Amino acid sequence: MESLFPIIAVTTGAAITATAVYALRWSSKHGQLRDFEKNAASIFDEKEPVGHPTDFFPQKRRKPKTTTPAT
Amino acid sequence: MSTTPNPAASINPGSPPDLAARAELSEIDASTRNPAVFFLCSSMLWLLAGTALALIASFKLHTPHFLGDLEWLTFGRARAAHLNTIIYGWSLNASFAVAFWLTARLSRSILRHAGILMAAGVFWNTGVTAGVLGILAGDSTSIEWLEFPAYAAPMLLVAYALIGAWAVITFRFGKSGHIYVSQWYILAALFWFPWLYSIAQIMLLLAPAHGTVQALVNWWFAHNLPGLWFTPIGLGAIYYFLPKVLGKPIHSYHLALLGFWSFAIFSGWTGAARLAGGPVPAWVVTAGIAAGFMMLLPVIVTAINYHLTMTGGFGALKFSPTLRFIVFGAFNYTLAGLIGSLQADRAISETLHFTHFTIAHAHQGMYAFFTMVMFGSIYYILPRLLLREWPSAMLIRVHFWTTATGATLYILALSIGGAIQGWMINALDAQGGLLHPQVLDIVKATLPWLFSRSIAGMLVTIGHLAFAVNFCWMLFRDPAAPRHTAPTLFHDPAETEEPS
Repeated sequence: MESLFPIIAVTTGAAITATAVYALRWSSKHGQLRDFEKNAASIFDEKEPVGHPTDFFPQKRRKPKTTTPAT
Repeated sequence: MSTTPNPAASINPGSPPDLAARAELSEIDASTRNPAVFFLCSSMLWLLAGTALALIASFKLHTPHFLGDLEWLTFGRARAAHLNTIIYGWSLNASFAVAFWLTARLSRSILRHAGILMAAGVFWNTGVTAGVLGILAGDSTSIEWLEFPAYAAPMLLVAYALIGAWAVITFRFGKSGHIYVSQWYILAALFWFPWLYSIAQIMLLLAPAHGTVQALVNWWFAHNLPGLWFTPIGLGAIYYFLPKVLGKPIHSYHLALLGFWSFAIFSGWTGAARLAGGPVPAWVVTAGIAAGFMMLLPVIVTAINYHLTMTGGFGALKFSPTLRFIVFGAFNYTLAGLIGSLQADRAISETLHFTHFTIAHAHQGMYAFFTMVMFGSIYYILPRLLLREWPSAMLIRVHFWTTATGATLYILALSIGGAIQGWMINALDAQGGLLHPQVLDIVKATLPWLFSRSIAGMLVTIGHLAFAVNFCWMLFRDPAAPRHTAPTLFHDPAETEEPS
Protein backbone atom coordinates (compact mmCIF):
# COMPACT_ATOMS: atom_id res chain seq x y z
CA MET A 1 0.00 0.00 0.00
CA GLU A 2 2.79 2.39 0.89
CA SER A 3 4.22 2.14 -2.61
CA LEU A 4 0.92 3.57 -3.84
CA PHE A 5 1.32 6.75 -1.79
CA PRO A 6 3.56 8.55 -4.31
CA ILE A 7 1.15 7.63 -7.10
CA ILE A 8 -1.84 8.87 -5.06
CA ALA A 9 0.02 12.05 -4.11
CA VAL A 10 1.16 12.84 -7.67
CA THR A 11 -2.25 12.03 -9.17
CA THR A 12 -4.09 14.12 -6.59
CA GLY A 13 -1.62 16.99 -6.97
CA ALA A 14 -1.93 16.90 -10.77
CA ALA A 15 -5.73 16.77 -10.59
CA ILE A 16 -5.89 19.72 -8.20
CA THR A 17 -3.46 21.79 -10.29
CA ALA A 18 -5.43 20.96 -13.45
CA THR A 19 -8.67 22.01 -11.74
CA ALA A 20 -7.12 25.30 -10.61
CA VAL A 21 -5.88 26.03 -14.15
CA TYR A 22 -9.30 25.12 -15.56
CA ALA A 23 -11.04 27.34 -12.99
CA LEU A 24 -8.79 30.27 -13.92
CA ARG A 25 -9.41 29.72 -17.65
CA TRP A 26 -13.15 29.39 -17.07
CA SER A 27 -13.27 32.62 -15.05
CA SER A 28 -11.32 34.50 -17.67
CA LYS A 29 -13.52 33.18 -20.49
CA HIS A 30 -16.74 34.01 -18.65
CA GLY A 31 -15.82 37.58 -17.78
CA GLN A 32 -15.29 36.94 -14.08
CA LEU A 33 -11.99 38.84 -14.13
CA ARG A 34 -13.37 42.02 -15.72
CA ASP A 35 -15.05 45.10 -14.29
CA PHE A 36 -14.27 44.34 -10.65
CA GLU A 37 -15.83 47.45 -9.18
CA LYS A 38 -19.19 46.67 -10.77
CA ASN A 39 -18.94 43.09 -9.57
CA ALA A 40 -18.30 44.25 -6.00
CA ALA A 41 -21.85 45.65 -6.03
CA SER A 42 -23.40 42.41 -7.31
CA ILE A 43 -24.72 41.52 -3.83
CA PHE A 44 -26.99 44.57 -3.90
CA ASP A 45 -30.20 44.86 -5.86
CA GLU A 46 -33.21 47.14 -6.18
CA LYS A 47 -34.72 45.82 -2.94
CA GLU A 48 -31.49 46.01 -0.95
CA PRO A 49 -29.60 48.79 -2.72
CA VAL A 50 -26.23 50.31 -1.93
CA GLY A 51 -26.61 52.77 0.94
CA HIS A 52 -29.21 50.68 2.71
CA PRO A 53 -27.97 48.89 5.89
CA THR A 54 -29.73 45.58 6.50
CA ASP A 55 -29.14 44.54 10.11
CA PHE A 56 -30.30 46.05 13.39
CA PHE A 57 -30.90 45.10 16.98
CA PRO A 58 -34.50 43.94 17.44
CA GLN A 59 -37.18 46.04 19.13
CA LYS A 60 -35.44 49.33 18.61
CA ARG A 61 -37.98 51.31 16.69
CA ARG A 62 -38.24 54.97 17.43
CA LYS A 63 -41.61 56.01 18.79
CA PRO A 64 -43.51 58.27 16.42
CA LYS A 65 -43.30 61.93 17.41
CA THR A 66 -46.49 63.36 18.93
CA THR A 67 -47.46 66.81 17.79
CA THR A 68 -48.96 69.28 20.24
CA PRO A 69 -51.71 71.59 18.99
CA ALA A 70 -50.77 75.23 18.71
CA THR A 71 -52.18 77.46 21.39
CA MET B 1 -40.39 29.93 -10.68
CA SER B 2 -39.87 26.41 -11.90
CA THR B 3 -37.94 23.57 -10.39
CA THR B 4 -36.06 20.68 -11.87
CA PRO B 5 -37.91 17.37 -11.60
CA ASN B 6 -35.28 15.35 -9.78
CA PRO B 7 -31.61 15.40 -8.71
CA ALA B 8 -30.57 13.17 -11.63
CA ALA B 9 -31.89 15.74 -14.09
CA SER B 10 -30.09 18.50 -12.21
CA ILE B 11 -26.77 16.69 -12.43
CA ASN B 12 -27.23 15.58 -16.04
CA PRO B 13 -24.93 17.82 -18.14
CA GLY B 14 -27.36 17.47 -21.02
CA SER B 15 -30.25 19.19 -19.22
CA PRO B 16 -30.52 22.95 -19.74
CA PRO B 17 -29.28 24.89 -16.68
CA ASP B 18 -31.56 27.89 -17.23
CA LEU B 19 -34.81 26.33 -16.11
CA ALA B 20 -35.45 28.88 -13.39
CA ALA B 21 -35.58 32.62 -13.43
CA ARG B 22 -33.50 34.75 -11.10
CA ALA B 23 -35.21 34.41 -7.71
CA GLU B 24 -36.02 37.06 -5.11
CA LEU B 25 -33.90 36.97 -1.94
CA SER B 26 -36.91 36.29 0.29
CA GLU B 27 -37.89 33.42 -2.01
CA ILE B 28 -34.36 31.98 -1.78
CA ASP B 29 -34.29 32.35 2.00
CA ALA B 30 -37.62 30.52 2.28
CA SER B 31 -36.29 27.66 0.14
CA THR B 32 -33.31 27.17 2.45
CA ARG B 33 -35.42 27.17 5.63
CA ASN B 34 -35.71 23.48 6.50
CA PRO B 35 -32.13 22.30 5.90
CA ALA B 36 -30.60 25.51 7.27
CA VAL B 37 -32.65 25.38 10.47
CA PHE B 38 -31.82 21.69 10.85
CA PHE B 39 -28.07 22.30 10.54
CA LEU B 40 -28.22 25.35 12.81
CA CYS B 41 -30.19 23.48 15.52
CA SER B 42 -27.67 20.64 15.34
CA SER B 43 -24.77 23.06 15.58
CA MET B 44 -26.35 24.75 18.60
CA LEU B 45 -26.72 21.45 20.46
CA TRP B 46 -23.12 20.48 19.68
CA LEU B 47 -21.94 23.91 20.79
CA LEU B 48 -23.49 23.39 24.23
CA ALA B 49 -22.07 19.85 24.50
CA GLY B 50 -18.64 21.01 23.36
CA THR B 51 -18.67 23.91 25.82
CA ALA B 52 -19.45 21.56 28.74
CA LEU B 53 -16.63 19.23 27.69
CA ALA B 54 -14.28 22.21 27.31
CA LEU B 55 -15.00 23.37 30.85
CA ILE B 56 -14.43 19.85 32.22
CA ALA B 57 -11.09 19.56 30.38
CA SER B 58 -10.03 23.04 31.47
CA PHE B 59 -10.86 22.40 35.16
CA LYS B 60 -8.96 19.12 35.11
CA LEU B 61 -5.74 20.90 34.16
CA HIS B 62 -5.60 22.86 37.43
CA THR B 63 -7.84 20.63 39.60
CA PRO B 64 -6.95 17.10 38.43
CA HIS B 65 -9.30 15.29 40.84
CA PHE B 66 -12.34 17.09 39.36
CA LEU B 67 -14.66 14.28 38.09
CA GLY B 68 -11.65 12.02 38.59
CA ASP B 69 -13.76 8.90 39.20
CA LEU B 70 -15.38 8.90 35.77
CA GLU B 71 -13.22 6.99 33.33
CA TRP B 72 -15.13 8.26 30.31
CA LEU B 73 -14.32 11.82 31.34
CA THR B 74 -10.59 11.53 31.93
CA PHE B 75 -8.66 14.51 30.55
CA GLY B 76 -7.52 12.56 27.47
CA ARG B 77 -11.10 11.70 26.53
CA ALA B 78 -12.80 14.95 27.57
CA ARG B 79 -10.28 17.08 25.71
CA ALA B 80 -10.49 15.02 22.50
CA ALA B 81 -14.29 14.86 22.75
CA HIS B 82 -14.39 18.67 23.22
CA LEU B 83 -12.20 19.30 20.18
CA ASN B 84 -14.12 16.97 17.89
CA THR B 85 -17.53 18.07 19.16
CA ILE B 86 -16.66 21.67 18.45
CA ILE B 87 -14.96 21.00 15.10
CA TYR B 88 -17.28 18.43 13.53
CA GLY B 89 -20.41 19.16 15.56
CA TRP B 90 -20.63 22.92 16.04
CA SER B 91 -18.23 24.40 13.49
CA LEU B 92 -18.92 22.19 10.50
CA ASN B 93 -22.70 22.13 11.01
CA ALA B 94 -22.74 25.92 11.31
CA SER B 95 -20.39 26.36 8.36
CA PHE B 96 -22.52 24.05 6.19
CA ALA B 97 -25.64 26.09 7.01
CA VAL B 98 -23.92 29.42 6.36
CA ALA B 99 -22.19 28.10 3.22
CA PHE B 100 -25.30 26.79 1.53
CA TRP B 101 -27.41 29.77 2.57
CA LEU B 102 -24.78 32.06 1.05
CA THR B 103 -24.37 29.82 -2.00
CA ALA B 104 -28.10 29.89 -2.70
CA ARG B 105 -28.29 33.67 -2.21
CA LEU B 106 -25.20 34.46 -4.26
CA SER B 107 -26.31 32.11 -7.03
CA ARG B 108 -29.65 33.94 -7.01
CA SER B 109 -31.25 30.55 -7.25
CA ILE B 110 -33.74 28.85 -4.98
CA LEU B 111 -32.43 25.87 -3.05
CA ARG B 112 -33.22 22.74 -5.03
CA HIS B 113 -33.42 19.25 -3.65
CA ALA B 114 -33.52 20.21 0.03
CA GLY B 115 -33.93 16.48 0.71
CA ILE B 116 -30.28 15.93 -0.28
CA LEU B 117 -29.16 18.37 2.39
CA MET B 118 -31.54 16.94 4.99
CA ALA B 119 -30.17 13.44 4.33
CA ALA B 120 -26.64 14.84 4.53
CA GLY B 121 -27.52 16.46 7.86
CA VAL B 122 -28.81 13.18 9.28
CA PHE B 123 -25.73 11.26 8.11
CA TRP B 124 -23.37 13.95 9.36
CA ASN B 125 -24.87 14.22 12.83
CA THR B 126 -25.17 10.45 13.21
CA GLY B 127 -21.46 10.21 12.33
CA VAL B 128 -20.54 12.93 14.82
CA THR B 129 -22.63 11.28 17.55
CA ALA B 130 -20.97 7.90 16.90
CA GLY B 131 -17.56 9.58 16.88
CA VAL B 132 -18.01 11.53 20.12
CA LEU B 133 -19.49 8.55 21.97
CA GLY B 134 -16.62 6.44 20.60
CA ILE B 135 -14.04 8.89 21.99
CA LEU B 136 -15.75 8.96 25.40
CA ALA B 137 -15.85 5.14 25.38
CA GLY B 138 -12.10 5.01 24.80
CA ASP B 139 -12.03 4.34 21.05
CA SER B 140 -10.13 7.52 20.15
CA THR B 141 -7.55 7.15 17.39
CA SER B 142 -5.25 9.57 19.30
CA ILE B 143 -4.51 11.38 16.05
CA GLU B 144 -5.07 15.07 16.72
CA TRP B 145 -8.11 16.59 14.96
CA LEU B 146 -8.99 13.11 13.72
CA GLU B 147 -9.77 11.33 16.98
CA PHE B 148 -13.10 9.94 15.78
CA PRO B 149 -12.88 6.15 15.55
CA ALA B 150 -12.74 4.76 12.02
CA TYR B 151 -16.40 3.67 12.14
CA ALA B 152 -17.59 7.29 12.21
CA ALA B 153 -15.76 8.36 9.05
CA PRO B 154 -17.92 6.64 6.38
CA MET B 155 -21.04 8.46 7.58
CA LEU B 156 -19.22 11.79 7.45
CA LEU B 157 -17.91 11.08 3.95
CA VAL B 158 -21.38 10.10 2.67
CA ALA B 159 -22.82 13.28 4.19
CA TYR B 160 -20.11 15.37 2.61
CA ALA B 161 -20.58 13.72 -0.80
CA LEU B 162 -24.27 14.70 -0.67
CA ILE B 163 -23.41 18.30 0.27
CA GLY B 164 -20.82 18.44 -2.53
CA ALA B 165 -23.38 17.13 -5.08
CA TRP B 166 -25.88 19.73 -3.90
CA ALA B 167 -23.30 22.52 -4.23
CA VAL B 168 -22.54 21.51 -7.82
CA ILE B 169 -26.25 21.58 -8.69
CA THR B 170 -26.75 25.00 -7.08
CA PHE B 171 -23.70 26.44 -8.80
CA ARG B 172 -24.88 25.06 -12.14
CA PHE B 173 -28.31 26.63 -11.84
CA GLY B 174 -26.94 29.94 -10.58
CA LYS B 175 -28.52 33.06 -12.01
CA SER B 176 -26.22 35.69 -10.61
CA GLY B 177 -24.12 36.21 -13.74
CA HIS B 178 -21.11 36.95 -11.58
CA ILE B 179 -19.32 34.81 -9.04
CA TYR B 180 -18.94 37.04 -6.01
CA VAL B 181 -15.76 36.78 -3.91
CA SER B 182 -17.57 34.92 -1.11
CA GLN B 183 -18.44 32.19 -3.60
CA TRP B 184 -14.79 31.81 -4.58
CA TYR B 185 -13.93 31.07 -0.99
CA ILE B 186 -16.89 28.73 -0.42
CA LEU B 187 -16.39 26.82 -3.67
CA ALA B 188 -12.69 26.44 -2.95
CA ALA B 189 -13.43 25.18 0.57
CA LEU B 190 -16.02 22.71 -0.74
CA PHE B 191 -13.37 21.46 -3.14
CA TRP B 192 -10.56 21.26 -0.55
CA PHE B 193 -12.40 19.51 2.28
CA PRO B 194 -12.93 16.08 0.65
CA TRP B 195 -9.29 16.12 -0.48
CA LEU B 196 -8.06 16.83 3.05
CA TYR B 197 -10.38 14.45 4.84
CA SER B 198 -10.05 11.49 2.47
CA ILE B 199 -6.24 11.68 2.18
CA ALA B 200 -5.94 11.95 5.98
CA GLN B 201 -8.29 9.00 6.45
CA ILE B 202 -6.33 6.85 3.98
CA MET B 203 -2.83 7.76 5.17
CA LEU B 204 -3.56 7.84 8.89
CA LEU B 205 -6.30 5.29 9.52
CA LEU B 206 -6.95 2.93 6.60
CA ALA B 207 -3.34 2.28 5.57
CA PRO B 208 -1.26 4.33 8.04
CA ALA B 209 1.99 5.76 6.75
CA HIS B 210 4.99 4.75 8.79
CA GLY B 211 7.31 6.80 10.95
CA THR B 212 7.47 10.57 10.81
CA VAL B 213 5.45 10.68 7.60
CA GLN B 214 2.46 10.03 9.85
CA ALA B 215 3.23 13.18 11.84
CA LEU B 216 3.62 15.12 8.60
CA VAL B 217 0.26 13.95 7.29
CA ASN B 218 -1.34 14.61 10.68
CA TRP B 219 -0.11 18.22 10.74
CA TRP B 220 -0.88 18.72 7.09
CA PHE B 221 -4.48 17.77 7.94
CA ALA B 222 -4.72 19.43 11.37
CA HIS B 223 -3.40 22.73 10.04
CA ASN B 224 -5.27 22.64 6.76
CA LEU B 225 -8.71 21.81 8.15
CA PRO B 226 -8.89 25.23 9.82
CA GLY B 227 -6.76 26.74 7.04
CA LEU B 228 -8.55 25.39 3.98
CA TRP B 229 -12.08 24.88 5.30
CA PHE B 230 -12.93 27.11 8.25
CA THR B 231 -10.86 30.10 7.15
CA PRO B 232 -12.30 30.35 3.61
CA ILE B 233 -15.85 29.86 4.92
CA GLY B 234 -15.24 32.54 7.56
CA LEU B 235 -13.64 34.96 5.08
CA GLY B 236 -16.39 34.29 2.55
CA ALA B 237 -19.00 35.12 5.20
CA ILE B 238 -17.19 38.35 6.13
CA TYR B 239 -16.93 39.38 2.47
CA TYR B 240 -20.70 39.03 2.22
CA PHE B 241 -22.00 40.29 5.56
CA LEU B 242 -19.64 43.23 6.05
CA PRO B 243 -20.70 45.12 2.90
CA LYS B 244 -24.27 43.83 3.08
CA VAL B 245 -24.88 45.06 6.63
CA LEU B 246 -23.16 48.39 5.98
CA GLY B 247 -24.92 48.85 2.66
CA LYS B 248 -21.69 49.65 0.78
CA PRO B 249 -19.62 47.47 -1.56
CA ILE B 250 -16.33 45.98 -0.45
CA HIS B 251 -13.59 48.63 -0.72
CA SER B 252 -11.44 46.93 -3.36
CA TYR B 253 -12.34 43.92 -5.43
CA HIS B 254 -8.77 43.87 -6.76
CA LEU B 255 -7.45 43.35 -3.23
CA ALA B 256 -10.08 40.65 -2.66
CA LEU B 257 -8.78 38.80 -5.73
CA LEU B 258 -5.16 39.16 -4.62
CA GLY B 259 -6.08 37.99 -1.12
CA PHE B 260 -7.94 34.94 -2.39
CA TRP B 261 -5.31 33.64 -4.80
CA SER B 262 -2.37 34.27 -2.47
CA PHE B 263 -4.34 32.51 0.28
CA ALA B 264 -5.10 29.57 -2.05
CA ILE B 265 -1.46 29.22 -3.08
CA PHE B 266 0.27 29.48 0.31
CA SER B 267 -2.20 28.27 2.94
CA GLY B 268 -1.94 24.55 2.19
CA TRP B 269 1.80 24.50 2.81
CA THR B 270 1.91 26.04 6.26
CA GLY B 271 1.24 22.94 8.40
CA ALA B 272 4.79 21.59 7.98
CA ALA B 273 6.18 24.63 9.84
CA ARG B 274 4.60 23.23 13.01
CA LEU B 275 7.10 20.34 12.86
CA ALA B 276 10.18 22.61 13.06
CA GLY B 277 12.83 20.83 15.11
CA GLY B 278 11.21 17.46 14.50
CA PRO B 279 12.80 14.50 12.70
CA VAL B 280 11.33 15.32 9.29
CA PRO B 281 13.15 16.38 6.11
CA ALA B 282 14.45 19.92 6.60
CA TRP B 283 13.22 21.11 3.20
CA VAL B 284 9.62 20.24 4.10
CA VAL B 285 9.80 22.38 7.23
CA THR B 286 11.59 25.17 5.35
CA ALA B 287 8.88 25.15 2.67
CA GLY B 288 6.28 25.37 5.46
CA ILE B 289 8.11 28.29 7.09
CA ALA B 290 8.39 30.13 3.75
CA ALA B 291 4.66 29.60 3.13
CA GLY B 292 3.93 30.72 6.71
CA PHE B 293 5.64 34.04 6.03
CA MET B 294 4.07 34.38 2.60
CA MET B 295 0.69 34.10 4.37
CA LEU B 296 1.38 37.66 5.58
CA LEU B 297 0.34 38.77 2.08
CA PRO B 298 -3.29 37.50 2.10
CA VAL B 299 -3.69 38.33 5.79
CA ILE B 300 -2.56 41.95 5.40
CA VAL B 301 -4.35 42.46 2.09
CA THR B 302 -7.61 41.11 3.53
CA ALA B 303 -7.22 43.17 6.71
CA ILE B 304 -6.69 46.36 4.68
CA ASN B 305 -9.72 45.59 2.55
CA TYR B 306 -11.97 44.96 5.56
CA HIS B 307 -10.70 48.03 7.38
CA LEU B 308 -11.18 50.34 4.40
CA THR B 309 -14.69 48.93 3.90
CA MET B 310 -15.50 49.67 7.55
CA THR B 311 -14.02 53.18 7.41
CA GLY B 312 -16.84 55.63 7.93
CA GLY B 313 -19.14 52.85 9.07
CA PHE B 314 -17.87 52.08 12.57
CA GLY B 315 -20.96 53.77 14.00
CA ALA B 316 -22.99 50.87 12.60
CA LEU B 317 -21.44 48.65 15.28
CA LYS B 318 -23.88 50.26 17.70
CA PHE B 319 -26.97 49.01 15.94
CA SER B 320 -26.00 45.79 14.18
CA PRO B 321 -25.45 42.56 16.14
CA THR B 322 -24.13 40.82 13.04
CA LEU B 323 -21.53 43.52 12.45
CA ARG B 324 -20.25 43.36 16.03
CA PHE B 325 -19.48 39.66 15.78
CA ILE B 326 -18.19 39.88 12.21
CA VAL B 327 -15.82 42.77 12.93
CA PHE B 328 -14.53 41.08 16.09
CA GLY B 329 -13.95 37.94 14.03
CA ALA B 330 -12.23 39.80 11.19
CA PHE B 331 -9.92 41.60 13.63
CA ASN B 332 -8.96 38.27 15.20
CA TYR B 333 -8.36 36.72 11.78
CA THR B 334 -5.73 39.39 11.18
CA LEU B 335 -4.14 38.87 14.61
CA ALA B 336 -4.21 35.07 14.33
CA GLY B 337 -2.70 35.29 10.83
CA LEU B 338 0.13 37.58 11.96
CA ILE B 339 0.88 35.47 15.04
CA GLY B 340 0.70 32.29 12.95
CA SER B 341 3.31 33.68 10.56
CA LEU B 342 5.58 34.63 13.48
CA GLN B 343 5.15 31.17 14.98
CA ALA B 344 6.47 29.69 11.75
CA ASP B 345 9.89 31.20 12.54
CA ARG B 346 12.29 28.52 13.84
CA ALA B 347 13.64 30.59 16.75
CA ILE B 348 10.19 31.62 17.95
CA SER B 349 8.85 28.11 17.44
CA GLU B 350 11.70 26.74 19.57
CA THR B 351 10.27 28.59 22.56
CA LEU B 352 6.54 28.50 21.92
CA HIS B 353 6.02 25.07 20.42
CA PHE B 354 4.60 22.39 22.75
CA THR B 355 3.32 25.10 25.11
CA HIS B 356 -0.10 26.58 25.88
CA PHE B 357 0.71 29.32 23.36
CA THR B 358 -0.24 26.91 20.58
CA ILE B 359 -3.62 26.33 22.25
CA ALA B 360 -4.16 30.09 22.46
CA HIS B 361 -3.38 30.43 18.76
CA ALA B 362 -5.76 27.61 17.82
CA HIS B 363 -8.56 29.22 19.86
CA GLN B 364 -7.90 32.61 18.34
CA GLY B 365 -8.40 31.08 14.91
CA MET B 366 -11.23 28.71 15.64
CA TYR B 367 -13.11 30.73 18.25
CA ALA B 368 -12.26 34.43 18.19
CA PHE B 369 -12.27 34.43 14.38
CA PHE B 370 -14.35 31.59 13.00
CA THR B 371 -16.94 30.99 15.72
CA MET B 372 -17.60 34.71 16.19
CA VAL B 373 -18.12 35.10 12.44
CA MET B 374 -20.55 32.18 12.53
CA PHE B 375 -22.46 33.81 15.41
CA GLY B 376 -22.69 37.03 13.41
CA SER B 377 -23.86 35.13 10.35
CA ILE B 378 -26.52 33.26 12.34
CA TYR B 379 -27.83 36.55 13.76
CA TYR B 380 -28.37 37.66 10.18
CA ILE B 381 -29.63 34.42 8.68
CA LEU B 382 -32.06 33.00 11.24
CA PRO B 383 -34.57 35.90 11.25
CA ARG B 384 -34.72 35.64 7.47
CA LEU B 385 -35.41 31.92 7.67
CA LEU B 386 -38.06 32.08 10.38
CA LEU B 387 -39.47 35.50 9.43
CA ARG B 388 -39.19 36.54 13.06
CA GLU B 389 -36.91 38.91 14.87
CA TRP B 390 -34.62 37.84 17.67
CA PRO B 391 -36.74 37.97 20.84
CA SER B 392 -34.20 39.71 23.07
CA ALA B 393 -31.67 42.40 22.22
CA MET B 394 -30.36 42.14 25.78
CA LEU B 395 -29.44 38.46 25.32
CA ILE B 396 -27.59 39.33 22.11
CA ARG B 397 -25.55 41.93 24.00
CA VAL B 398 -24.83 39.46 26.82
CA HIS B 399 -23.75 36.93 24.20
CA PHE B 400 -21.43 39.36 22.48
CA TRP B 401 -19.76 40.89 25.51
CA THR B 402 -19.26 37.63 27.42
CA THR B 403 -17.86 35.75 24.42
CA ALA B 404 -15.71 38.67 23.25
CA THR B 405 -14.33 39.25 26.76
CA GLY B 406 -13.99 35.53 27.44
CA ALA B 407 -12.17 34.84 24.17
CA THR B 408 -9.81 37.79 24.68
CA LEU B 409 -9.05 36.75 28.26
CA TYR B 410 -8.54 33.15 27.14
CA ILE B 411 -6.09 34.08 24.38
CA LEU B 412 -4.15 36.54 26.54
CA ALA B 413 -3.92 34.17 29.51
CA LEU B 414 -2.75 31.16 27.52
CA SER B 415 -0.40 33.21 25.33
CA ILE B 416 1.34 34.67 28.40
CA GLY B 417 1.24 31.36 30.28
CA GLY B 418 2.54 29.53 27.19
CA ALA B 419 5.39 32.01 26.68
CA ILE B 420 6.42 31.66 30.36
CA GLN B 421 6.20 27.88 29.99
CA GLY B 422 8.42 27.96 26.87
CA TRP B 423 11.00 30.22 28.47
CA MET B 424 11.19 28.02 31.55
CA ILE B 425 11.56 24.84 29.50
CA ASN B 426 14.43 26.34 27.48
CA ALA B 427 16.16 28.44 30.18
CA LEU B 428 19.76 27.44 30.88
CA ASP B 429 22.00 28.32 33.82
CA ALA B 430 25.58 29.59 33.59
CA GLN B 431 26.92 26.05 33.23
CA GLY B 432 24.58 25.26 30.37
CA GLY B 433 22.34 23.03 32.45
CA LEU B 434 18.58 23.36 32.69
CA LEU B 435 17.53 26.20 34.96
CA HIS B 436 14.25 24.42 35.76
CA PRO B 437 15.04 20.70 35.69
CA GLN B 438 11.83 19.84 37.60
CA VAL B 439 8.90 19.75 35.19
CA LEU B 440 6.56 20.22 38.14
CA ASP B 441 8.00 23.72 38.74
CA ILE B 442 7.08 24.66 35.19
CA VAL B 443 3.61 23.16 35.55
CA LYS B 444 3.05 25.14 38.78
CA ALA B 445 4.11 28.36 37.04
CA THR B 446 1.34 27.88 34.49
CA LEU B 447 -1.41 27.32 37.09
CA PRO B 448 -2.57 30.97 37.39
CA TRP B 449 -2.93 31.12 33.61
CA LEU B 450 -4.86 27.86 33.55
CA PHE B 451 -7.21 29.23 36.23
CA SER B 452 -7.66 32.35 34.11
CA ARG B 453 -8.54 30.11 31.16
CA SER B 454 -11.27 28.43 33.21
CA ILE B 455 -12.70 31.83 34.19
CA ALA B 456 -12.64 32.84 30.53
CA GLY B 457 -14.36 29.54 29.72
CA MET B 458 -17.13 30.30 32.21
CA LEU B 459 -17.68 33.71 30.62
CA VAL B 460 -17.91 32.09 27.20
CA THR B 461 -20.34 29.52 28.62
CA ILE B 462 -22.63 32.30 29.87
CA GLY B 463 -22.57 33.76 26.37
CA HIS B 464 -23.41 30.43 24.79
CA LEU B 465 -26.32 29.92 27.20
CA ALA B 466 -27.64 33.40 26.36
CA PHE B 467 -27.37 32.52 22.66
CA ALA B 468 -29.10 29.16 23.20
CA VAL B 469 -31.97 30.75 25.15
CA ASN B 470 -32.49 33.40 22.47
CA PHE B 471 -32.22 30.77 19.74
CA CYS B 472 -34.79 28.40 21.32
CA TRP B 473 -37.06 31.29 22.30
CA MET B 474 -37.07 32.45 18.70
CA LEU B 475 -37.57 28.95 17.34
CA PHE B 476 -40.43 27.98 19.62
CA ARG B 477 -42.13 31.31 20.24
CA ASP B 478 -45.83 31.61 19.64
CA PRO B 479 -46.45 31.03 15.93
CA ALA B 480 -49.29 33.53 16.19
CA ALA B 481 -46.81 36.29 17.06
CA PRO B 482 -46.60 38.97 14.36
CA ARG B 483 -44.32 38.06 11.49
CA HIS B 484 -42.49 40.38 9.21
CA THR B 485 -43.37 40.10 5.59
CA ALA B 486 -40.15 41.55 4.25
CA PRO B 487 -37.50 39.44 5.91
CA THR B 488 -34.61 41.07 4.15
CA LEU B 489 -35.55 44.52 5.37
CA PHE B 490 -36.19 44.51 9.06
CA HIS B 491 -35.87 48.12 9.98
CA ASP B 492 -35.32 51.40 8.35
CA PRO B 493 -32.20 53.07 9.78
CA ALA B 494 -34.16 56.25 10.29
CA GLU B 495 -36.44 54.37 12.65
CA THR B 496 -33.60 52.95 14.67
CA GLU B 497 -32.97 54.48 18.02
CA GLU B 498 -29.59 54.41 19.75
CA PRO B 499 -29.15 51.24 21.78
CA SER B 500 -28.64 51.83 25.48
